[in-house]
Amino acid sequence: MRKLIAYRLVLAVPQLAAVSLLVFALTYLVPGSPAGAMLGAGATPERIREVEAQLGLDRPAFERMGDWFGHALGGDLGVSYTSSLPVTDLIVQRMPATLSLAFGGMVVALILGIGLGAIAGMRPGHTDRAIGAGTSVGLAIPEFWFGLILSLLFAIKLGWVPVVAYTPFTENPLAWLRGLILPSLALGIPAAALIARQTRGAMVQALASPYIDTLTAAGVPRRTIVLRYALKNAMVPVLATAGLTFRILFGSSFVVEAVFAFPGAGNLLLTSVVAKDFPVIQGGVLVIALLVIALNLLIDVGYGLLDPKVRPQ
Amino acid sequence: MAAVAMALTGCSGGSGGGSGGAASDTLAVNWGGFPDSWAPGAEMEAGYMRVPYENLVALDRQGEISPVLATEWEQTDEALTLELRQGVVFHDGTAFNAEAVKVNLETIQKSKGPYAGPLKVIESIDAVDEHTVRLNLSEPTPSLLTTLSTRATPMASPKAIAAGTIAQQPVGTGPWAYDPDASTRGTRMTFTSFPKYWGGPASVGFKTIELYAIPDDNAAAGALSSGQVAITDVERSQLSRLKGTPGIESLAYPAIRNNPMFFDRGPGGVFEDVKVRRAACYALDTAALAKVEPDFKPRAQHFAEGEVGYNAEIAGYKHDLAQAKRLYEEAGSPPVEATVLAAPFTEKQNQVYASQLAKLGMRIKVQVAPPPQFFSTWNGGKYALGLGSNDELTAYDWYKAWFAEDAPGNPSGVESEALKKAAGEAIAAGTSPEAARLWGEVTRIVSEEALTCGHVAGEETIAWQSGKVEGVEAPPQPWETNMVNYRDLRPKGE
Repeated sequence: MRKLIAYRLVLAVPQLAAVSLLVFALTYLVPGSPAGAMLGAGATPERIREVEAQLGLDRPAFERMGDWFGHALGGDLGVSYTSSLPVTDLIVQRMPATLSLAFGGMVVALILGIGLGAIAGMRPGHTDRAIGAGTSVGLAIPEFWFGLILSLLFAIKLGWVPVVAYTPFTENPLAWLRGLILPSLALGIPAAALIARQTRGAMVQALASPYIDTLTAAGVPRRTIVLRYALKNAMVPVLATAGLTFRILFGSSFVVEAVFAFPGAGNLLLTSVVAKDFPVIQGGVLVIALLVIALNLLIDVGYGLLDPKVRPQ
Repeated sequence: MAAVAMALTGCSGGSGGGSGGAASDTLAVNWGGFPDSWAPGAEMEAGYMRVPYENLVALDRQGEISPVLATEWEQTDEALTLELRQGVVFHDGTAFNAEAVKVNLETIQKSKGPYAGPLKVIESIDAVDEHTVRLNLSEPTPSLLTTLSTRATPMASPKAIAAGTIAQQPVGTGPWAYDPDASTRGTRMTFTSFPKYWGGPASVGFKTIELYAIPDDNAAAGALSSGQVAITDVERSQLSRLKGTPGIESLAYPAIRNNPMFFDRGPGGVFEDVKVRRAACYALDTAALAKVEPDFKPRAQHFAEGEVGYNAEIAGYKHDLAQAKRLYEEAGSPPVEATVLAAPFTEKQNQVYASQLAKLGMRIKVQVAPPPQFFSTWNGGKYALGLGSNDELTAYDWYKAWFAEDAPGNPSGVESEALKKAAGEAIAAGTSPEAARLWGEVTRIVSEEALTCGHVAGEETIAWQSGKVEGVEAPPQPWETNMVNYRDLRPKGE
């Protein structure tokens, strides 16, 4: 297991470099100058060139890229063009809201998805079909629309929760949790449908395995068979789906952030893309890539814990 | 379990100006998105910026310059000298004086945003004494006082500017001071009554202003309906939904101006012939545009009545396709094929105008570009015509930005003798009473030569909870987006 972690960590370096290089190239392929966006409609060509020089954009791209990599290795992701604030500070300020949302959505997705999937797998017939129909609807619902509906119903009509609700965990854990309820449901329910389908399939397969008959014949209670043996074995393929789902959730959270006015990284990155704020785009993507690599590592470790056969020899 | 459930569904968040029947001294307002930076020179929506910050002067509803942090001024061709209000302190206790003005204006001049340009005319700044500052000018600039009244030039604490904290923690001289302890970063910024405010803390109605940043229109309307905010900017499309909520009122006011510009006016240019330009102007139908884009209100000219530059004699180009065709034929029906660069937010308007010009036989291709590309190139000479905002508040600035021979918005560098002469006379008149008439003549020539037309004013819509706040009107500063008359607002029932 230690070998696997070390190998993955070593591999992360070229992966991050490749991602950074790709983002760097893509941002420069998009026409238009960040200075133009900063100066607005009345900007003169001379003033645009002046600001470009202030930003260092008149230097060769490879030189700028080298500089950026050098500073990034030291933890310095540069300064935002639009706010003149350190990119690291901006990301550190914004990431907790995005991660809260993604984790909240994931908790909802896992609880609902595994629960409903397991029930569907155990109860063929009406229950299975009803849950199957429900997951089809869940998969078809766009998160932002579902978020709006939840907001209209629970925040505006019933007044149970505020429309704008994010509170940092460090400030007030209870208010943080309360603010997460609606956005987590908006994000988590469509994702739960995906996990439920995977869980159902894995559960059906696990319950049809010969060792289940052996356990039944040995007098092991049905509840123990399902929870301790079948569900545990069904979790291996579900874990892969959960990892993929989290990555999707992370992207979808950017949309849900806008609906619930969450001060997250999504809004920061979207506005930065529009403004061609290169340092923020570069830094943001690098941090997201780091998170995804860390998540993949966690999933691989999880595989090993659930199934000793997949551990590296 | 029940306790947790109760806690989770209990009341929290913004007050929206209070709940229940009692008047609350807290006003919660949303304008869609906090500024990236609160430093002078950064782009800030007025509704955010004008809570903690004040300017040296203000532009009142009559279009007159009125005192704020400067009480008197004297302008010559060479300099603008300002006498500063005494006894003013910033929220951090720093004294407001001539040195503070110098630091602020120099900070803006060095900034990379849109506001550095208009201050380039200030060659140097002298702190004559503690309360007198002189701005030495490189050229006569009759519009400088107007610039000093806009969101381009807020006065911030020089101590906070030097410390670098100003970007995230505004420190101004206004009636409300930022309270980081009562705020939630990224969600709510709380500003509380500043006890040392020079106008007296009782001069405003609300003790606390809570600013929100709700980017989604539906969520903003929802926050208003549910009472989480008491005032918000809304899209017109949300009004029908809000009508179902008792106590919601709204108003619309003109906030932005835009109009097509004919750039390619030089020798051999597509729009060299004034008859071709006039034909295009008569073909444009801003009334039809207003049906597609209800926020746009057609106007005959750039300036509104009461503004310097307005001329009652200007009839504009009321849509008349027959007249357009006649003029185009008189010009010899030269082929007009051109590309106009549009940003995503002007694409629809450009498409409408292109289809209207097509009825005349002019083929205008609309090319959409992301904002950075649009802003960098739309008016640089690559495109024969363009459509962009004209946010110049004075006739001088408008002329210097778009029509003067060396104007950045006049890439062909063509200016008629008549226009040059009229503008010269208007500039020479400085800030005298005669200047208004002379600038009116300049705008008449601009219209007559059809250098631009198709004027529209884009309206902003504000909605509020009338049960929580009263006295809501359009902002006193003209042509400001996302703004309300904060100082006149009072809690309902106070």
